[in-house]
Amino acid sequence: MLLDIDPPIVNASGILSFLDIFQLLDRKGATIGGYVTKSISPGERLGNENPVVVECGAEEYPTLNSLALPSQTPEEWLEELKQTHLKRSKLIVSVNGVSPDGVSRIIKMVEPYADGFELNMSCPNLVPGEESVMAIVGRHPEAASRVVRSARRATGKPVIAKLSPDTRYVEIGQACLAAGADYLGCGNTMPGMFIHSRGPVLAGQSGGVSGPALKPVNLKMVYDIYAELRCPIVAYGGIMTWEDAVEYFLAGARVVGLGTFFAHRSTSDIVRDTAAIWKGIQDYLNGEPLESVVGAAHRKSSMEMTRSH
Amino acid sequence: MHIHCKVTENRGEGGRNRTLFLDRRFEVQPGQFVMAWVPGESEKPFSLSYENGITAKDLGWYSAKLLDLKPGDSIWLRGPYGTSFPVREGAVLLGGGVGIAALLILAKRTEDPVILLGGRTAEEIIFLEEFEKTGKVRVATEDGSLGAKGLITDLLPQEGRYYCVCGPDKMMAALKPLLPPEKSFFSLERYMKCAVGLCGQCTCNGYRVCTDGPVFDGITAQEMTDIGHRKRKKSGGWEYS
Repeated sequence: MLLDIDPPIVNASGILSFLDIFQLLDRKGATIGGYVTKSISPGERLGNENPVVVECGAEEYPTLNSLALPSQTPEEWLEELKQTHLKRSKLIVSVNGVSPDGVSRIIKMVEPYADGFELNMSCPNLVPGEESVMAIVGRHPEAASRVVRSARRATGKPVIAKLSPDTRYVEIGQACLAAGADYLGCGNTMPGMFIHSRGPVLAGQSGGVSGPALKPVNLKMVYDIYAELRCPIVAYGGIMTWEDAVEYFLAGARVVGLGTFFAHRSTSDIVRDTAAIWKGIQDYLNGEPLESVVGAAHRKSSMEMTRSH
Repeated sequence: MHIHCKVTENRGEGGRNRTLFLDRRFEVQPGQFVMAWVPGESEKPFSLSYENGITAKDLGWYSAKLLDLKPGDSIWLRGPYGTSFPVREGAVLLGGGVGIAALLILAKRTEDPVILLGGRTAEEIIFLEEFEKTGKVRVATEDGSLGAKGLITDLLPQEGRYYCVCGPDKMMAALKPLLPPEKSFFSLERYMKCAVGLCGQCTCNGYRVCTDGPVFDGITAQEMTDIGHRKRKKSGGWEYS
């Protein structure tokens, strides 16, 4: 089952994060068709000590983070979910995919309040002394497929399996689809590091690279996955303009997610600038349905190849 | 990007407040904040009390570490970030707790300000002499050890063209209904992580204090029922006051 996300723009999980922020943006009319929560973990997590975000580029884009999945308890999330009402947009609940049992328990608990779920099997960040969910689950087809199966048994609602670009993502993606995922999320941040004052800046040592630096990496991921698996894809990674979004659609995405885009933007900036992104996409479509461009880059390249032979 | 600074002076301000003076000046609008990072410890938001200084109270382990820095020690700052107070002649500035520090630059840039300061005891009223050089100052302390005995709200009504408030959440909540929304500005304080509008940690009724604030106009502040009521703690869950 697919999500009716209209317009096909969401926030990336861990960005904006909280239900009260979604509710405000929804009320103010941001052009965001679906909101994705922070990943809910089976128990309370504090995440890493600050600094957890570094702006290491000349352009002041935050390009590296290591929050390492802080989360209030599922019970606290449930209380907030009960009080949240989005007028226009869908609500996708992200779940920390670290264990099949945890995933199924959390999904069953919050199911009535979610339009769909995203399974985070790809966060590269860790609190010192632990392993990342990417390392535990996201790099192993069998572990990933167990988590998806557990989610699939717990809900009939759409499920997105969010993968890491730093894996054999076609193989992992195939396992997730076979286990019942409706979408593949392509993808999470890419592991990276920043050294300053003679040591790694982030408390987790390494972090996740996001923003414009991530775009070509995840664009290729979307392209590769679409080429091999032809499945519904939610694309994330450095989408700052409508042109970036269109590239991802052409590569095979049906929905695009914004992350670093939100940096330094106030609520009113978000309302204005998400409308501009959607307008740019619509102008590009020029009356054609979105489906006409999804994956179009593949058709073009095969045509060109035919011609050149 | 973090900017490297060296501490040039560590000055006691009374009570548990101290100011770290730095070897560089920031271009700051009154009310904006910086993130101050001590490698290996943590990073937290602080108001600039001077273009080259931050003032903090040693409330937690990190502020205690920070305030323990000696001249010559290094500290890394990013910012200034966020919205600022408007600078208008004859404004009334209301400060409480360590929030008083955030008003010092504003007072210096405002013509004929009226400054109202509140605290539990005299030692919480910091920068008194400096404020007195900029305008008319009135003080209220809960124990009566300085100025009038009572709360900052007891110093109202006060004729003013604009009202700029910075203090603890409870003080904001008490002042909100007493000030004209269209002429007042409130600077909020929340636990922050990214400080650039991404992570959502510092939300107050869905507004991100780091990027929509920290200074909010009174009309927006009126709809913020979280002020004086709850804040998100490190896990993201609510902590009620």
